[in-house]
Amino acid sequence: MSSLHPDTNVTDKGLTMKSVIRNAAVASVAVLAIVSLAACASGSPSSSTSGSASKSTVYFGVSAAQTGQYAQYGQQFKEAFDLAVEQVNAKGGINGHPVALKYEDSQSDPKQSVAVAQKFVGDSSISLVFGDFSSAASIPASPIYTAGKLVQYGFNNSNPDFTAKGSEYQWSTSITTSASYQWTADYIKKQGIKSVGVTYLNTADWGIPAYNAFKTEAKKIGLKITDAQGVLDTSDDYRPSLSNAVVGKPQAFAHIGYGPDAAKIVTQLRAIGYKGTFYGGQDEQSFDGTPDAAGSIVGAQFLETNPDPAVQAFVKAFKKKYPNEADVTGFEAGAYDALNVAVAAAKAGGTTRAGILKGFKALKDVPSVVYGKITFDQTTRRVASPDLTPTILKAGKWIAHNG
Amino acid sequence: MLDTLIAGLLRGNVYALGAVGISLVFGVMNVVNFAQFSFFGLGAMLAWFFITTLGLPFWLALPLVLVVCAALGLIINISVVRPLAKFLPLAAMLSTYAVSQILDNASQIAFTAQFRVFPPVLPNSNLHIGNMRFGTSDLVMLSTTAVVMLVMSLFLKYGKVGRAIRATSQDQEAALQMGIPVGLVQHVSFVIASALGGLAGVFIALYVGVANPASGLNIGLTAFVAATLGGLGSLVGAVIGGFVLGILEAFGIHFFGDTSRQIIIFVILIVVLIARPGGLLGKVPLISTEPLTGTFLGKGRPLRIPRWVWAAAFVVLGIVIPLLRNDYVLITGTQVLIYAIIAAGFTVTAGQAGVLALGQAGPIAIGAYMSAALTMQLHFSFWVALPVAGLCAAIVASILASPIWGVKGHYISIATLGLGITIVAVIQLIVPQGIYNIPVPQWFGTALTTPTAYYLIDFGVLVITLLVMWRIRRSHLGKVISSVGSDEVAALASGVRGRNYKALAFAISAFFAGIGGSLLAHQYTYIDPTIFTMLMSLLVVTIVIMGGVSLPYGAVVGAIILIGAMELLRFTPELRIIVYGLVLILVVRFRPGGILVRNS
Repeated sequence: MSSLHPDTNVTDKGLTMKSVIRNAAVASVAVLAIVSLAACASGSPSSSTSGSASKSTVYFGVSAAQTGQYAQYGQQFKEAFDLAVEQVNAKGGINGHPVALKYEDSQSDPKQSVAVAQKFVGDSSISLVFGDFSSAASIPASPIYTAGKLVQYGFNNSNPDFTAKGSEYQWSTSITTSASYQWTADYIKKQGIKSVGVTYLNTADWGIPAYNAFKTEAKKIGLKITDAQGVLDTSDDYRPSLSNAVVGKPQAFAHIGYGPDAAKIVTQLRAIGYKGTFYGGQDEQSFDGTPDAAGSIVGAQFLETNPDPAVQAFVKAFKKKYPNEADVTGFEAGAYDALNVAVAAAKAGGTTRAGILKGFKALKDVPSVVYGKITFDQTTRRVASPDLTPTILKAGKWIAHNG
Repeated sequence: MLDTLIAGLLRGNVYALGAVGISLVFGVMNVVNFAQFSFFGLGAMLAWFFITTLGLPFWLALPLVLVVCAALGLIINISVVRPLAKFLPLAAMLSTYAVSQILDNASQIAFTAQFRVFPPVLPNSNLHIGNMRFGTSDLVMLSTTAVVMLVMSLFLKYGKVGRAIRATSQDQEAALQMGIPVGLVQHVSFVIASALGGLAGVFIALYVGVANPASGLNIGLTAFVAATLGGLGSLVGAVIGGFVLGILEAFGIHFFGDTSRQIIIFVILIVVLIARPGGLLGKVPLISTEPLTGTFLGKGRPLRIPRWVWAAAFVVLGIVIPLLRNDYVLITGTQVLIYAIIAAGFTVTAGQAGVLALGQAGPIAIGAYMSAALTMQLHFSFWVALPVAGLCAAIVASILASPIWGVKGHYISIATLGLGITIVAVIQLIVPQGIYNIPVPQWFGTALTTPTAYYLIDFGVLVITLLVMWRIRRSHLGKVISSVGSDEVAALASGVRGRNYKALAFAISAFFAGIGGSLLAHQYTYIDPTIFTMLMSLLVVTIVIMGGVSLPYGAVVGAIILIGAMELLRFTPELRIIVYGLVLILVVRFRPGGILVRNS
């Protein structure tokens, strides 16, 4: 029964061995503690080398997923950021100061994004932070950025609450989900469609608010939702949900979600014999390459095939730098824009944290590959009157759709 | 109806393939193999790579995938699983989790995280029954499974190695005495299981149409549930479990919607386990031992900690670190401390009562939501809401868990895993949107929002937690709970109602989980269901095993290492998870009982 309470059971045999192990354990714990402290202390790079020369580097932080479930998006952001930094520095940086980025992997996990936020706040060389990818990781970090008086530029946060419930330090150039799905409902109605079946991602920070916006608008304009099914992006088999959703024979079908889940949904929707137009999907490799996705319609902000010279210059430069990338999507464009907006803000207000905030408040008509020109609505801290273009997927490419 | 049935059959087919692999390994090694999950995603990505990038025909790519997966399986078994399984199945289970992290991330580095369109190698909608269309591809999959199952059953029944596999799975020691090369048998089983995992992965990709390296996780989890449902170790059970789960899931989604998918799966599992504690076809031995029994308690003794270490630790954690005034260290510290509180409370369940519950995210979520509701709706102060949230978590989790205490061994781990996921899924149904602006703690009118304040609050709660846990362990009650974990039969013979004490231990753990949840909620000031994942539950278990499964103070060391390590490894972002997995394997390899437990 000695195993009942082993901690109180001390025998004297093997004492030397025991004490060796004990000392080793104590020593290793101590070493570990010291190493962690040292590593943490060295986490804030000494900016003593900066000198007072006018050419000191301006650092922006990036809090995004480099590993884990959302790594796909983190990789896309990184490619576009790196391209934009290269271009900005080639043109003389911010009034002569070169720009550089510091990446921290958050896995879009709030446990890590708050630590990343504190790390950036504590690093005095950082004057602005991009991120995080998901609202569930961005919003818990917001109070830390606000307390550190550091602008948190959630360029990808489409959840309206990121800025609405945030402080003057939270800014975003992403179109809000409510704006884009109001637009979608209006557009479907304009096509002469009277009834629509809906699936939406059942996620608290994105899919549900988006669906609510769609539903409210549909009710207002008299678009009938025959059935709406919440689905999970981690599911693979939507057939049971989809066969329910099309029971009321809707004229068209809308999916509120991302690319990979839309690819699965549209494939399975066709497999159960539904033939109406699919309003959903995303300019993303797996959706673009799905055979059944052809003919899908979404409202897009960024279009690779947009003849605008600025867009074409960006697309060309991107493909030159990353020859393996077949497509340039809204994700890359959004990140590319974000860096240019941040640089513009620093040029306008100064490269310090306070200066960049001042810059954001003064920005006007910043050139953009997504919006053409960006001006912030100072009350929402979002892009003023964002515009969407109807696009249709044809032969793996999204092109403007006139309808 | 017919549509739903066909969808369920196709789905069940994939589950069955995965479940057979899991059951096979469990039978011969008594190890739950999490690495099996990774073979689903890996199989899909390898097939995509061979077909799309190398341009191989499907009929060549498929056997290649099987060979690669089988070879990887052999390497994993030789290097990691078998050395540990020989003396500690639980350590082996933990290391398979680490292996799966390494495999997933290596595959992500090789293939990138991008979702890929899987080439349509066979027509998949050229046939139809009613409105439901399906294709040659589906028929090929179904018949492949049938052939594989037939060959497997013939092999097990008549083949020499097959019979050896059955003998080993019935009684490993007897098999060894009869001259059966158990090591070889285990290798063969692992190789077959890995190849089946790869095959299932290819089938998932064929069926779904897109794949990425992480896409195997959910199917893997469901296949795991299917194996449990059928009875771990029973191959026929695994096949039946797979199809039953596939079909019931399809009908469940038909009636209740995709959002209740996880609730459906785990409610089916829990109901089956309550009715048949060994699964549909599994046998419950008359005298069974918990996976932890006689392993940790018998095989290791805690290191004796000199008194000055306690004082030094208190001074370093409570005084020196706050005085450093490095906010990054402090914020990381808050996460370490909160997980240490949750894990220290968990040691009474995992260590003393010997129940390896895998669903602590459930009570953590209850605590977080309850605390948010109390402070926001009823305007409680944080200091009142904190203990009340803990109490609510303990009460609600206990009520929900009450039917499952008759379930034993690995089954109870899976049942609690299901319980945790179900609790979070139900919360998501009730409060689908995130909760914002959860009030921060106040101290006589001053808002405590600085990292130092959070750190000190968490530190204070941790000290109280450790004192309470120390008191419980020293008390009569604590010894009775330990007796249940050490030898349930002996305890039962001495008149101890093991079931009730397990429930009590679980309630104590849930209380501290709820406290931890409340602390998280008021620090993040925002919560939504995506925060309380299965990975959170696994992290709690890993912390506890790392520090020494029955040592509350070990949980502090475990939390420092596991959460601290993720931050320390920031210097190598791409390899972070892989290095993390390797460190985990090495620690488990050389300290199978935990950092603070001496091997014996």
